[in-house]
Amino acid sequence: MSSLSLKHIEKIYPNGFHAVQDFNLEVEDKEFIIFVGPSGCGKSTTLRMIAGLEDISDGEFLIDGVKMNDVEPKDRDIAMVFQSYALYPHMTVRDNMGFALKLRNVPKDEIDAKVNEVAKILDLEKLLDRKPKALSGGQRQRVAMGRAIVRNPKVFLMDEPLSNLDAKLRVQMRTEIAKLHERLGTTIIYVTHDQTEAMTLGTRIVVMKDGIVQQINTPEHLYNKPCNLFVAGFIGSPQMNFLDAVVEVKGSDVFLHVGDDVLKVPDNKKQVLIDGGYDGKVVVLGVRPEYFGDGRGLEDQFCTLKCKIEVRELLGAEVFLYGDINGKQCTARVAPEVDLVHGMLATYSVNMDKIQLFDKETELNLLYHD
Amino acid sequence: MTQNEKAAAAKKRNHAIMITILIILFILFIMPFILVIINVFKDKADIVSNPLALIGAHGFTLKNFPEAMRKMDFFNVFKNSLIITVSATFLTILISSMTSFVIVRNGKWKMCTAVFALMVASMVIPFQVLMVPLVSVYGGIFNILNSRITLIFMHVGFSVSMATFMFHGAIHSTIPLELEEAALIDGCTRWQTFWKIVFPLLKPTIATVTIIDAMAFWNDYLLPSLVLTRKEIYTIPIATQQFYGTYSTDIGLVMAALLLAMLPILILYLFLQKYIVAGVTSGAVKG
Repeated sequence: MSSLSLKHIEKIYPNGFHAVQDFNLEVEDKEFIIFVGPSGCGKSTTLRMIAGLEDISDGEFLIDGVKMNDVEPKDRDIAMVFQSYALYPHMTVRDNMGFALKLRNVPKDEIDAKVNEVAKILDLEKLLDRKPKALSGGQRQRVAMGRAIVRNPKVFLMDEPLSNLDAKLRVQMRTEIAKLHERLGTTIIYVTHDQTEAMTLGTRIVVMKDGIVQQINTPEHLYNKPCNLFVAGFIGSPQMNFLDAVVEVKGSDVFLHVGDDVLKVPDNKKQVLIDGGYDGKVVVLGVRPEYFGDGRGLEDQFCTLKCKIEVRELLGAEVFLYGDINGKQCTARVAPEVDLVHGMLATYSVNMDKIQLFDKETELNLLYHD
Repeated sequence: MTQNEKAAAAKKRNHAIMITILIILFILFIMPFILVIINVFKDKADIVSNPLALIGAHGFTLKNFPEAMRKMDFFNVFKNSLIITVSATFLTILISSMTSFVIVRNGKWKMCTAVFALMVASMVIPFQVLMVPLVSVYGGIFNILNSRITLIFMHVGFSVSMATFMFHGAIHSTIPLELEEAALIDGCTRWQTFWKIVFPLLKPTIATVTIIDAMAFWNDYLLPSLVLTRKEIYTIPIATQQFYGTYSTDIGLVMAALLLAMLPILILYLFLQKYIVAGVTSGAVKG
């Protein structure tokens, strides 16, 4: 069992920069937690505080109920995979992988057995006597993983481990990591700025911005019920489309005016706009690209938006249409059969059951709260 | 002649000029060494009559070597030189590599910046300025001249700044902080991190500092001549001095002594030469 608890964690640098603010997280055993966010959001700093490479300015960090704030990195029983892999250049793959065990005075036979076992899992058997400079990027990455696995730590920390690989290898290694987590069943905390990695690997995702946690939840939850405009925009690729819409309450119905187009808000979403006194006010309408469709013939049903198409991108199984809706750049993901091309004034249908509504000022989601 | 042919001819001409200059420089550098080699196997009369002849009129002789070795008490002075050079080089590498590690990894600590600045500044002070105060302080006040330990201490003192400067550049540019962090997580203490990770990676710089300092300590004449006055603790350069007489100099013996003096350092250089270029350029270009 290895559970982690981060309570009101703060990181303030000597120059006064507040890198992490009031970070709270409970990590259960065997969870795969992803810290995601743009550069400088504090995700790596938080990971480094967990590793013990950065001091915690305030708050409490516990592993299995034991306070770790002032415990040396070597005594935390954690392993870390670095972005640059940080393999020791003067040691062979075998020595790199066995180094931590050697420092703990584990008998040589035991080290060899353990290294061979992990090398077999990671398909590194033939590379054990090579030095890191004689390995490819993907092989180095696997050695770095192996070095961490050999120790059988309570927690794995991974700091953007795939960011130095090319796109194809990244997808391959992503699958490998997912399989490894399944096989080893260890708690993993993984930092990335790539939302695809976050969505595919994590059991829960921590979305951060400017040192503040925005939302913590499962990938599905974050995708379908983002708590604010930032999370909605960050999770999903291509990102969610945001349009300014004026709310009109007419009798028991609620309409959204986007330029000249009018959308009728579904019954299960309208009450929040009525109760919140949004009549006549501007809200932000969020529509994911896949919830746009070819809306020709649906013009009178209050579920269409006009879009001037600027670029059509065929990706094989799907098409991205980039265009302009009421002065805002929008992306639609449609089937290749949809015959909309650049230059056309298209009519998009909007799946109104899937729309998101955000307050213009607070940027909070009006429909869902965590 | 076309433009391209003109450019090619000019390039060829420049190349020829450059090669000629290099050959002249090479001859100038190598000539003293060749003179030592060809004259060490001649007797005094042959050297005086024709120093440039490959073999003298009296033929090839090895008699200069035993004579030189006996006169200069070679095994004793060799032992002194070896003790002083090895100890001073070892201590310089030990102290300066650890100092530079602390300075680089605590760059935000003002004391480190100040110490490093002071060390760099000390490199520009010529030895001749310190010569007289050095002797008067160590001889007059402390009275510790005439000791190999004092000479070792002085050698280390004079060389540690330059060595620290070189190690500083190497650590700063070639050893990523992440390696040390990985070692800390793997279970190393700071001390172990330095010795097991950082120090082995400084091999090219260690080789460069070794050859530069060992050469300087082995060949140094001025400092040992100020510190050592007892014959039994003479180093090789001091011992060769006695072959230069007021009225006559036995050139054959001088040549033999010089060759014996330069051989060990030449062998050391041959062993370490593959690291020298890497060590000198480490820190110059960010990898």
